[in-house]
Amino acid sequence: MALDRRSFLRLSASVVAGGLVLSGCEGEHAEVDALDRPLLLEMLGPDRVRSLGSRYIAMVPGENSAPALRTAIAQRRSSPLHVAWARTSIEDAVREDFADGRTVIVDGWVLSLTEARQCALFALASS
Amino acid sequence: MHTDARTLENGAVIDGDLCIVGAGAAGISMALQLINSPLKVILLEGGGFEREQAMQDLYRGDIVGQPYFPLDAARLHYFGGTTGHWAGWCATYDAIDFETRSWVPHSGWPIEREDLDPFYERAQPILDLGSYDYDASSWSRRDTALTALGLDRKAFWTKMWQFSPPTRFGAKYRSAIVDARNVHLYTHANVCEVEADDAVTAVDGVRIRSFDGKEYRAHAKAYVLACCSIQNARLLLASNTKATAGLGNARDLVGRYFMEHLEMPSAELVLAKPAAPLKMYAWESGVTKARGEIALDPRLQREHRILNGTASLEPGSLGEPVKTTFQLLSPEILAAMEKWEKGGRVGPPPFVTDTGASAAPPPLPRVYHLMTRQEQSPNPDSRVSLSAEKDALGMPRAKLDWRLSEIDKRSIRTFYQLLGREVGRAGIGRIQIREWLLSDDRTWPSFVSGGWHHMGTTRMHTDPGQGVVDPNCKVHGLANLYIGGAAVYPTAGAANPTLTLVALSLRLADHLKTRLS
Repeated sequence: MALDRRSFLRLSASVVAGGLVLSGCEGEHAEVDALDRPLLLEMLGPDRVRSLGSRYIAMVPGENSAPALRTAIAQRRSSPLHVAWARTSIEDAVREDFADGRTVIVDGWVLSLTEARQCALFALASS
Repeated sequence: MHTDARTLENGAVIDGDLCIVGAGAAGISMALQLINSPLKVILLEGGGFEREQAMQDLYRGDIVGQPYFPLDAARLHYFGGTTGHWAGWCATYDAIDFETRSWVPHSGWPIEREDLDPFYERAQPILDLGSYDYDASSWSRRDTALTALGLDRKAFWTKMWQFSPPTRFGAKYRSAIVDARNVHLYTHANVCEVEADDAVTAVDGVRIRSFDGKEYRAHAKAYVLACCSIQNARLLLASNTKATAGLGNARDLVGRYFMEHLEMPSAELVLAKPAAPLKMYAWESGVTKARGEIALDPRLQREHRILNGTASLEPGSLGEPVKTTFQLLSPEILAAMEKWEKGGRVGPPPFVTDTGASAAPPPLPRVYHLMTRQEQSPNPDSRVSLSAEKDALGMPRAKLDWRLSEIDKRSIRTFYQLLGREVGRAGIGRIQIREWLLSDDRTWPSFVSGGWHHMGTTRMHTDPGQGVVDPNCKVHGLANLYIGGAAVYPTAGAANPTLTLVALSLRLADHLKTRLS
């Protein structure tokens, strides 16, 4: 049975949120975790990333939980059939966001929507 | 030839073919072009060869509207003019600066960039600049360390600057002017009124006044006001004996459209990875010959309906305070700089020790402050008018009402939003826009800053209803009065005005040489 878009998103969100990996391949556990490790950590450090995440949640109250954020991120993926989040695919998603103008200004920072949500996930995980 | 006008008898009359009022970058550039021509040139300078407090005080004025730098500190009133504390930054205006842009009210020059190209080239040696080359790739070929950030060239390009030593016109060209047989320089010759004929169709002479109460007149076939944008407007408005609204002001345009460049710290760039200092964007006073700034492609300016501007990069750290141009160089620092230079430049420049602005960056800088330099939209309410107060020579002081528009702020913010997207897309890093840019577009911070670039009070337009001077810089309705300098700019352009005003002065000198010969 073919999955419609809503069913697929629900599935992929729950899969990612639960830390499950469809392929069952051990190496992909790290790829799933990559979603919680924004690239911005290296640039801005954990305190600033956490602060950006909190501000994003305050700006977008509808995305104030990890499942909501993961669902939102998954909706933005250009290749939704990839369930696992490799670091490279996150980098691609972020670049696509910038290229397509899917950006958001948080505390003055011009962020890709994907990475802003990653910041929010990071903030929730460390709260 | 040179005469100190204070030695003239009361009522003396000076005769010549061309009378240039003001010996700054514009006036001296013109006079240099006319040396050995058949014309007898009178060059009138209000000050002497050195700074005198009494002369500087003549430039004091009122400031209303946006806060501004003290007018007597922003300009210098002696032979050489404000080049006496000029920083030497030179760049050409872009083709789009001359265009009529539907989204920029009152934009459009009656000349094009190509019209100025030959004069830009001739201006280079006058300002002690290198070859006429403002192409970034050309400079990169000369010095491989001059590498631009890897931005999409369809979106952003590298606008090149060259740096004058800087040329102090007073010191460099004093001998050439004084020794010229057909140029007669009069110092301490403050023009207080431009006198029109009874029909107010031509200028009949200029009235000069000295502190001891003596008055003289200069009479010529043609006259050029080259005293700077504020003083030119002040002089025209105060010349109201025959024309009650002032000379050239039948359409109430003189003094309006005063423009500055907005020079403000606007954002921070954090590189994805620390990298060696970006030489392409670095500047060291007296050392750097050329550098680049990040500029937005005209196509995107059109698409987003914004003004022209650039971003320069200064290494720093997140969260540290960054000073505007006006804050960095206070009147006291400017005066100290002048003294330091005249004293042979012993030790570091005063502003370095005072602010730490040139402190060595960390070995691998990661954070850069992004400093805006942007034109402001021409605004008829931004204006110079006359104050009720008079100076020591009995002339009404200038009153500056500097005003800004919503598009000015929106343009800066949009620039950094677009740059933020592009540095993210290119994997270069991220940008944080400063808080003052994120509020509404009508509110300006108390630290709003220009660059002492005074432009536009006698703007150029073919239509007398829309401009004070015609494309030859002649005042509409007056047969023999011309304006030199940045006062004629219809728009401010993205670059500092000096190179363009010297180019325009050379163009005007050529025109007058032909016309008067």
